[in-house]
Amino acid sequence: MSSYISAENINLTFRPKNREAVTALSEFNIDIEQGQFVSIVGPSGCGKSTFLNVLLGLIPPNTGVMSVNGRTVTGPGTDRAMVFQEFGLLPWRTVAHNVELGLELQGVAKGPRRETCQGFIKMVGLTGFENHYPHELSGGMKQRVGLARALASDPDVLLMDEPFAALDAQTRDIMQAELLRIWHEAKKTVLFVTHQIEEAVYLSDHVIVMTKRPGRTKKLVPIDLPRPRDYEMRVSPRFNELKLEIWNELKDELSVGGDEDSGHA
Amino acid sequence: MATSTVEPSTYIAPPPAEETYYEAHEPTILGGGFILAVFAVWELYPAIFGLSKGMKLFFATPSDIIAALYSLLILNEKLPMVGTIWQHFNASTGTFLFGLGLSIIVALPLGVVLGRSQTVDAMFDPFITAFNATPRLVFLPIVLIWFGVGFWTVIAIVFLGAVFPLLINTYAGVKNADKLLINVVRSFGANEWQINKLVVLPNSLPFIIAGLRLAIGRAILGVVVAEFFGGTEFGLGVIMVQASQSYRVDILFAVLIIFMVVSLLITAAVKQIENRLSRWRPAKIKTF
Repeated sequence: MSSYISAENINLTFRPKNREAVTALSEFNIDIEQGQFVSIVGPSGCGKSTFLNVLLGLIPPNTGVMSVNGRTVTGPGTDRAMVFQEFGLLPWRTVAHNVELGLELQGVAKGPRRETCQGFIKMVGLTGFENHYPHELSGGMKQRVGLARALASDPDVLLMDEPFAALDAQTRDIMQAELLRIWHEAKKTVLFVTHQIEEAVYLSDHVIVMTKRPGRTKKLVPIDLPRPRDYEMRVSPRFNELKLEIWNELKDELSVGGDEDSGHA
Repeated sequence: MATSTVEPSTYIAPPPAEETYYEAHEPTILGGGFILAVFAVWELYPAIFGLSKGMKLFFATPSDIIAALYSLLILNEKLPMVGTIWQHFNASTGTFLFGLGLSIIVALPLGVVLGRSQTVDAMFDPFITAFNATPRLVFLPIVLIWFGVGFWTVIAIVFLGAVFPLLINTYAGVKNADKLLINVVRSFGANEWQINKLVVLPNSLPFIIAGLRLAIGRAILGVVVAEFFGGTEFGLGVIMVQASQSYRVDILFAVLIIFMVVSLLITAAVKQIENRLSRWRPAKIKTF
């Protein structure tokens, strides 16, 4: 239990009514140090998102122990916050009001709440959009709101479930750079689930490659690229070596068929 | 097409034709004009062609009706039956609000609980399905026996009419609540009460408003029907029955117009509430 985030022998099987049981995680182990940026890549339906939900405390595992900073996870807590793939903004709330959600649920009074969130809205570059509703924002801006909302509740661990998957390529590049800038500023431990090897290498200190379902950690790849990272690094030889290394681990797991069912998160 | 031979550079679009007053206001003019035409025929037909003695008994012209409305509503004259129209109006309004209020108090929480708890859903589902499928009026004789002639029978009928559309719509709305958003607020530490307040209720609001609109219609219907049969002394429905028995067609139409106006006002009020509550929505849909 020396590491900051630790998963010990997590097993999780879904038993939906009238359908076959699906084992999402089997003897899943993970150890992450504080302040690290760790990405998880793996084939569709391997249980990456499920693991984030276990860590978030939304889904209890069948067996195994999930702990953060020595405390066992038994449910959602203020030490963890998630940035969701489909943004998950409350459409009837303005940007400012969405960002305030976490603090509101923690019982922080309106005045200090507004003040704190103003800072995070500025950090993600949305000053001036406080009173806009989500439907008035672009995808990239929506995810900036999602990021500000997660950061505003001041978690120790930031979970990101394919946060940029719904964005177009250019917006994604911009958001990755922004995320690195914010990560340097906010100093959080980040767990980042993605499909994109390049994104994982560019952002992370370590990349975890998962096996196909039931998901297990296959390999931990340290990313020894210097920081701060810039866009040119993506064409450096070392960057491509790392990409290839991860791809070689991953490609054996990408079986044909049987992976279409990833909707258990 | 002749224009296809014209070079784009030399083609000059004709200035847009000035919109005439008629073109700008066509729907209003057509709608309003047609109503006026109907009233004119209605008013003038008996004057020009005359009516048989028998027909006259069942007929009232628009001017008769306006005269009746004026004497009843403005001069507050006593009705040939009992009391003034305002006393009856207030009695019906009270019944409507009380019955509708009761159905809201029951339907909203119950709808949320049913939508959120599979256990309670399974327990109540057969009852709700059966009751909802049954025409409400068949309960009237039983309600009459249980509650006796008078106020509570009328309330019970209004309640039975209004509660189901509201309950079923609330339930459907809650069932439809966005799972992702529920997980989002849960992840930030929301308990069941907060989940309902922050996600489930706002998310099902369009359903609830639609249910409310239905419930209001059913409640008004309930008021009238229950007052026809329920044996209360006051109420617009009571007036209608008595006016019909004494062939006061002008009073019948006057009450009918009061119902029409009140229903339109309530519909407009609900629409106002809906617009106010759905400012966050991208597009508004035309509703009646």
